[in-house]
Amino acid sequence: MNNSFTISDEQQNYTQYNLQANPFPYSPVPAEDPEIFCGQQHVAEQISSTVSSVLATGKSKHLVVTGKYGNGKSHTLKYTRSLLRDRDDVVVGYVAQPGEGFLDIYHEFMYDLGFNRIQELAYNWLASVARDVTDANPMGAESMRSLIDEGDVLLSDIVPEAIRKLSDITRFADFARAIVHMVYEDTNLYAWQWLTAEGIRYEQRKEMEIHSALDDDTMGVRAFTALKNLLLDLGYTSVFVFVDEFESIARLNSKNEQATLNSIRHLMDQNSSGLCVLFGCAPEVWQDVMSEYHAFSERIGQEVALRPLTSEHLYELVADYLNRERDEPNGEAPIHPFTEESLDMILQRSQGNVRQVLALCSRVLDTAIEDEREVITEEFVQESM
Amino acid sequence: MLYRRRELDLPNGNLDTPVLFPVRNLGKRSSDNTPTYVGDIPDFSSAIINARSIRNRDPMWNRLTNGVTLREEMDVPEDTIVFADSGGFDFTSGEVDTTPKETLETQRQLNADIYGTVDVPLSRKNRAAENQDRIEQSIQFALEASDHHDGDSLLLASVHGYDPETIRNNIQHLEKYGDFHGYALGSLVPIRTDYEKVTSLVLAARKATEKHLHVYGLGGLVYQPLLLYLGVDSFDSSAFIRAAGNRNYLIPGFGGEELQNIEEMERLPCPCPICGQRTLDDIRQDRTALTQHNLWALATELRRFRYVAESERDIENYLDLRFRGNEVTQRAYKTAKQQIRRLV
Ligand SMILES: [Zn+2]
Repeated sequence: MNNSFTISDEQQNYTQYNLQANPFPYSPVPAEDPEIFCGQQHVAEQISSTVSSVLATGKSKHLVVTGKYGNGKSHTLKYTRSLLRDRDDVVVGYVAQPGEGFLDIYHEFMYDLGFNRIQELAYNWLASVARDVTDANPMGAESMRSLIDEGDVLLSDIVPEAIRKLSDITRFADFARAIVHMVYEDTNLYAWQWLTAEGIRYEQRKEMEIHSALDDDTMGVRAFTALKNLLLDLGYTSVFVFVDEFESIARLNSKNEQATLNSIRHLMDQNSSGLCVLFGCAPEVWQDVMSEYHAFSERIGQEVALRPLTSEHLYELVADYLNRERDEPNGEAPIHPFTEESLDMILQRSQGNVRQVLALCSRVLDTAIEDEREVITEEFVQESM
Repeated sequence: MLYRRRELDLPNGNLDTPVLFPVRNLGKRSSDNTPTYVGDIPDFSSAIINARSIRNRDPMWNRLTNGVTLREEMDVPEDTIVFADSGGFDFTSGEVDTTPKETLETQRQLNADIYGTVDVPLSRKNRAAENQDRIEQSIQFALEASDHHDGDSLLLASVHGYDPETIRNNIQHLEKYGDFHGYALGSLVPIRTDYEKVTSLVLAARKATEKHLHVYGLGGLVYQPLLLYLGVDSFDSSAFIRAAGNRNYLIPGFGGEELQNIEEMERLPCPCPICGQRTLDDIRQDRTALTQHNLWALATELRRFRYVAESERDIENYLDLRFRGNEVTQRAYKTAKQQIRRLV
């Protein structure tokens, strides 16, 4: 049990249902790395198609996943992220919500990558330069770090070239300096703060010879594009940005909303290759965006809608969850101890909201064990709610 | 605890470290204004000189190549230990006008015990790329010197850098590709008021090598205890001359005090051979006496630290007290303390 205040020496006996444990998420909050996709086939296909196309052609492509609250947008995005994260040729960043504008999206994206990842990229960049200008042949961040620590490669041999070359590739010299400063313990925190658009004092910038402040949407787009170009140069095929709860831009006043959409449009225009932005958005807000900001919606082009769960989907979903805790699938009765009628009832009670469905399944299953029920019937669901 | 004692076996005798090399301004345009101290202050049977200035001072160089020894020229005993710095600081703005090989010849001619390699110092005013160039050049000069050096004298590679990675990286590189008896950290004078920075650089060097570690130019009253605490083996200072030039009277624990601020006192608070016998007015008018006292002040600072260490008193307690008066140095010391504690 998740509740640490429930003290009991009695193991819940799930084995009567041929289960090791209760497989349903206890809390109706989407898991960070969901193992089961509870979306729908057409959504899965559309996402796969978009992602595969970006991976295969290197051309940028974007997609909006719409769905009402609770229909599994976050779950879908997070599930897709968890699949992509295992690949070592892509970079994936998750933005929980767009905040006040593009700079916030950029900030969240960088934070999701994290300090260590960015530092590793910096070492990777030095490694790529070291392979060009020295006899050393570092194959990655770790070997670059140790070549520096052991003195095999002189920092003064590679750092000026690393900055020069990265400035060329990114057309953003300040960005290049910030990346290289990620390897210096005296300045890496400032470099990180600058790179994440947190803002640093003038003196701190000066120490790194960074002239500009990264403090508005335009600079955010520039920095993001620079990062993407760095990644492509390092051999990554594409960068994925998942922007969840995109509907919250409706909270912004229309000037800021327009500015945010414009910045995203610029981002897409400046990155015709190697970029995939996946939005999760409530359908009504997406409708408004489509009708009011053509320039923006044109660039996204594709939309796929999550529909509320149907009974058939639910049976499959519940079977998937139950199978996680079974040694062997229950061939004939995959949803046992649930019955179709009981699941229909659960679906009806939760109005198709996936998170609520799963939380209900979790509760009902525990109650059934306490009551030593053989099967979970419609009546039992009704009683136990 | 990083403080350490060693003994160096040098061509002209043995030298106990940690030690301070007082600067002898031999060969500088202004006449040598260093008063005699060797023999007067037993702690200082050593000196640091600038090889380049001496070489460029024709009359003196002629005497030195025609049979007069450096020690005679300095008017000190022949067993005085001499550290011959290349004179890198003179290249701060101009072009380097010597080669590692030529500098080694000069150092050999001077019968120096310790050689510093030719270096091109950094400045915070420089652009980073310019400083990177200079770091690179100093490394190449050091490696060249290593190729040409033989004999019993100690060769210390000059190391520059304004961040710990660079210091570590340079020392490891020199360790791998050259042959040095130790390392000498330079370019710290221009950033000496940034105590935390200096502390982190010195510590990076100390962590990177077990060999002899010298710190150029920071042997004044404030830095001495800090450097000793950080395990530095030697340092040099001209603070005693410069302070006297400004009529500044050095007192361990208090720093410098302008003599004109002290009016009605007959005697100064120091029992050294100068102040112990002479009156304030007397010393006020005698710059040489003031210089000599200042050197005694540096010796006192060093002796105190050693005393605390040898008597197995808690050095950190002593330093807590020692730095209590000054917020900036106190912070630097605290930073050092934290970093050292993380080490052990
Ligand atoms: Zn005195």
